[in-house]
Amino acid sequence: MAACEKRRSAPAPATGSGLVEPVRAGVGGREPESEAEFLLQAGVTSMVREALLKVLEARPEEPVSFLASYFEKLVLSGPQGGAAADRHRQQQRLVRALWYVRLAHHSHRTAFNNNVSMAYECLSARGRRKKPGVNGRIYSELLKKICQDGEAPEEVVSSLLKKIQCRDHEAVPFDVFRYGVLSCFVLLEFVAKADTLYDVLDDGSGVADKRVCQAVLGTLEDALGASDFSVPIRYLEAGSKLGPDCLALAMDKALLERKICSSMNREDFLKKATALFIAKVKPID
Amino acid sequence: MEPPAPNPGHGAGRPMATRPALCTVRSPVALQVGDVKTDLAQPGVAVIDVALPPAQPLDLQEIVFKNSYTAFLTVRVQRRRPCDVGRASARKWVTCLWNHCLMPSPHTEAGSQDYFSLFRHQLLCDVDQVTAVRLILRQPSPVWLHFTLEELRLYPRGQQSLQTDFPSWLSHLAPQQQPENLHGGVPDPEKVSTEVQQLWVLTEMIRANQTAARIGRFDVDGCYDINLLSYT
Repeated sequence: MAACEKRRSAPAPATGSGLVEPVRAGVGGREPESEAEFLLQAGVTSMVREALLKVLEARPEEPVSFLASYFEKLVLSGPQGGAAADRHRQQQRLVRALWYVRLAHHSHRTAFNNNVSMAYECLSARGRRKKPGVNGRIYSELLKKICQDGEAPEEVVSSLLKKIQCRDHEAVPFDVFRYGVLSCFVLLEFVAKADTLYDVLDDGSGVADKRVCQAVLGTLEDALGASDFSVPIRYLEAGSKLGPDCLALAMDKALLERKICSSMNREDFLKKATALFIAKVKPID
Repeated sequence: MEPPAPNPGHGAGRPMATRPALCTVRSPVALQVGDVKTDLAQPGVAVIDVALPPAQPLDLQEIVFKNSYTAFLTVRVQRRRPCDVGRASARKWVTCLWNHCLMPSPHTEAGSQDYFSLFRHQLLCDVDQVTAVRLILRQPSPVWLHFTLEELRLYPRGQQSLQTDFPSWLSHLAPQQQPENLHGGVPDPEKVSTEVQQLWVLTEMIRANQTAARIGRFDVDGCYDINLLSYT
């Protein structure tokens, strides 16, 4: 690191930097250069600006540790020699890509897309002797890691991954990568919301009536419809079918049926609900 | 002097039962002072006469036409009144639209080739039992040499056909009254509805974000055996 600490030689007269700083007298007889020019030339200005932008996007609860890990990852991504470090570096890249895609919520569309493209670039750089690009293996590993940290049940995750995974040898284009990552995040949110729905349906008792659950899931399935067109009128239709009065009627009617009161537990409910979601995920071919 | 053929498919949103009335549209006649043949100045007024079959007076619902560089339009109709029966005297012409502006600025192109539709409620007088229609076109600008109206159609007030493609859920848009005897075990519909709608939104989002990119798999069940591939 001693080489990095060496003082740089003074640059040519700066054109249009626009900053007038008092020139500090150089140590050891070197030509004096202004502080702002030094920062600009060292790339520090742009680096700090990037870091600040990331903090603004991510809004972490602990900004200091966030910044610390950000700079740590920057250092780690520098070029390092040695073929034995390849595997280690790949793990680091994976961790870094994971960190990137988690920065912004998927509903912040621009920020999320930016982060996904940075993660894609990060995974594409594969070392000196290999061709750049994301292969199916590292893509699948990333998806598994994303889903692991959520609270989705194993079966649900595996049925989604079956649809969007790529084989090890396949080259993954960016669109497919983005779609896969987005699907994982949306699935995690879907599972969380379905969990909340179950909490509402069981009225705090911990166990929900099977007929009510089936009525609600049936209404949702009906509203999702079979067609694949996104015609604007379908939003009106879904809104009217999923309004409180229609749902109240459906649940009431369900309760009027068979007198036997059976219950549906949380896992079954989640499985059925996520089946509706996964049915709409387009498989990769 | 060409009778326009009635085209049943025309008219977005118009019920299929209404067809344009059969009428005879004469070509515009320029109103000019002086000798028509020798006078070189172009007048700015023309008249289009539309004659309806004499035995079938029309209850006018709509007049539809395509403008062709006419700036102002006046419409006069001749009506058959019950008091006219038995009288041979000329029926009166009544103005039902006076100096309606078709082109906001007569020298420029705005509105010069637009389609217009005049409904009966926009007209100044009652247009039932109409036997003849006269359209007076005015174009004060010297820029446009020829001006007329094209594709003129008169629509009678026909029986409205029932719209058969009315989706059932539309009739339920007004909130139905809550059933009074909701079972005790029914959870709060408002909360359920909120959560279910969010689930719907998430699913729709993933459906809308489908990628068209393909990896390009050509294998049959994971197998690239040439014998299998040749069968697909």
